[in-house]
Amino acid sequence: MSTVRIGPLLPPWSYGFIVAFALWIVTISATGPSRAGGTLVATVAFAAFSVLVGTGQMLVIASGPGNIDLSIPSVMTLAAYLAMSAMHESDGLVFLGLAVALGVGVVAGALNYAAIALLRLPPIIATLAWSFVFQSFAIDFGGEATLKPPPVLAASTTFRAAGIPILPGAVVVLTLIVMVVLRRTVFGRSLLAAGQSERAAYLAGVEVGWVRLWAYALCGGLGALAGYLLAGFTGGAALNMGDIYLMESIAVVVLGGTSVAGGDANAIGIWGAALFFNLLGIMLNTFRFQAGVRLFLTGVLIIAIVALVPHARARA
Amino acid sequence: MNKMRHAWRKWRAALVLGLALVPMLASITRADGIATGDTSRIRIAFSNSYAGNSFRQVMIRDFQDAAAQAVKEGKIKGYTVVSSNASVTEQASQMQNLILQGYNAIIILAGSDTALNGAVKDACDAGIVVVAFASGVTEPCAYRVDYDLDTYGQAEMNYFASRFGTKPTNLLEIRGLAGDGFDKRLHAGVEKALAEYPNFKIVGQVYGEWTSTVAQKEVAGILPSLPTIGGVLTQGGDGYGAAMAFEAAGRKLPIIIMGNRQDELALWKKERAAEGYETISLGATPSVSQAAFWVAQQILAGKKVPKFVQVPLLQIHQDDLDAWLAKVPDGGVADADFSQALTVAIIDANADHKPIPGIPAPK
Repeated sequence: MSTVRIGPLLPPWSYGFIVAFALWIVTISATGPSRAGGTLVATVAFAAFSVLVGTGQMLVIASGPGNIDLSIPSVMTLAAYLAMSAMHESDGLVFLGLAVALGVGVVAGALNYAAIALLRLPPIIATLAWSFVFQSFAIDFGGEATLKPPPVLAASTTFRAAGIPILPGAVVVLTLIVMVVLRRTVFGRSLLAAGQSERAAYLAGVEVGWVRLWAYALCGGLGALAGYLLAGFTGGAALNMGDIYLMESIAVVVLGGTSVAGGDANAIGIWGAALFFNLLGIMLNTFRFQAGVRLFLTGVLIIAIVALVPHARARA
Repeated sequence: MNKMRHAWRKWRAALVLGLALVPMLASITRADGIATGDTSRIRIAFSNSYAGNSFRQVMIRDFQDAAAQAVKEGKIKGYTVVSSNASVTEQASQMQNLILQGYNAIIILAGSDTALNGAVKDACDAGIVVVAFASGVTEPCAYRVDYDLDTYGQAEMNYFASRFGTKPTNLLEIRGLAGDGFDKRLHAGVEKALAEYPNFKIVGQVYGEWTSTVAQKEVAGILPSLPTIGGVLTQGGDGYGAAMAFEAAGRKLPIIIMGNRQDELALWKKERAAEGYETISLGATPSVSQAAFWVAQQILAGKKVPKFVQVPLLQIHQDDLDAWLAKVPDGGVADADFSQALTVAIIDANADHKPIPGIPAPK
């Protein structure tokens, strides 16, 4: 079976990049070409965080219909709080802090999947319920204050080599690794197989439960990593630091060409969608649209892109 | 059955009202304005729309501290705090529960200025004193304790005028949440003040959502397209993020109006030492919950209180920066107790249309 394509024969992941590029052109046509580089650097710096959480979300969404992680913002916050308090602003402890953050994230992801698999809760409920628990822990761990990062962490998240911020570069490398893992490794193939048909994957010998557990754990780990780095980048862990990433983590995955029905993941497309989201905000600010118009344009553009993106090829 | 319950509710409402009137009749207002009617049997609840940021966490603790102390001194019998998760329907149903539990007064930080009117009216009808604070509630039976946000924008613009005079200056405005009432009112104050100073021009505007991370992201995004910025208008919680964005873009730090956060004050102090950086800091204090608490207690003690009580913003100037910074917890926000005496002085200033007493700097 094959779906009829109406649009031009471009891969689904390219649409985010195209629209992002168009927004960039529109923005710099209003502000002048001399601002083009600065706008791009600022966009890429923030898009990197969206890509980190989006990549985790993508692994979960691709692992099967209905799988989604709504606990990402609270995992980011909790991991950032615990990591910052483990480091006490001490430069020597940045790796300890990183380990704490990753540990928190992986455990949180595993707890998410445990609630789904053992209690048979729908993922949307299980991860939302855990998110309240994680957020409560974060409040208990000094929710009355912003916890500062060690100076080295703060400096390294904003470090530039020859004018190019280094953190987004590292995230690009991560994206490439995830692409290879999805295409070439047993885990990647198993994840997509489980996402396409749980029963067929099971009959083919894929341990669906383990694969999904890994997907959730990796998602938690990537969210926690994003929280850790974001705390360094923005000057501290705050209770509401993850709030904007709930919607964004899902939106960048869907706009990036990953199928919500599972079984088809697109890691590079997340970058296009993340650039689109961040440039959209910059463009709306540049033209100083009223609050209502901003929300309207955001909604219309998202619907338009999702409608235009050709549906992923149905597999024979 | 239902009818009976209804009748009982009506009776109880009358009873509660009657009991509330008893101390009112017996009340004595002392020379310092503090009403001393017997409130030792009353219970006061705090209905909070959202508890998910550090400001609200401190606000809840401030209320609990003041209320616990009042219980110890026999000024009230009990208190409680209920928070909804930014959901007005949840907050409305929590209000109904508080009414059923027979609290004498409810102080409410409403998640919406209209959606809770029904619940507020029900509470008033049951004879409960309702004090809405730091949030608009349009139901007229509620007392309101709030800031005058015109003065917020005015103070920011006045400070810029004192620094730049009539020199043409570009400003960046960081607003709150798009479409939010607090943001609209504060922005209206800025616009009004802007009309008085034609040399200032707002060349960029972003929504920082009172959150450092969001403000940093939005400012970093718009900054490459902006000319040299002289000053940054803020709404609190966004100053540090703005400073980080300027720093990351390799730009000179403009005059950022700080919002009483410890990281902002520490940055201010650092820059002051390095190059004589000067600015002001102003903002709401979490302890406004205490002002609302004492207003409710005073109403029940028989004091005559105007329907709208304006409370002062906390302002920090160059001279008292060190004193405040020493007092603010690491990563926290500047806060100062609203005592019963200060609250009564504020009530009286409102009633007499006199200038509102400010929050004194720590010694």
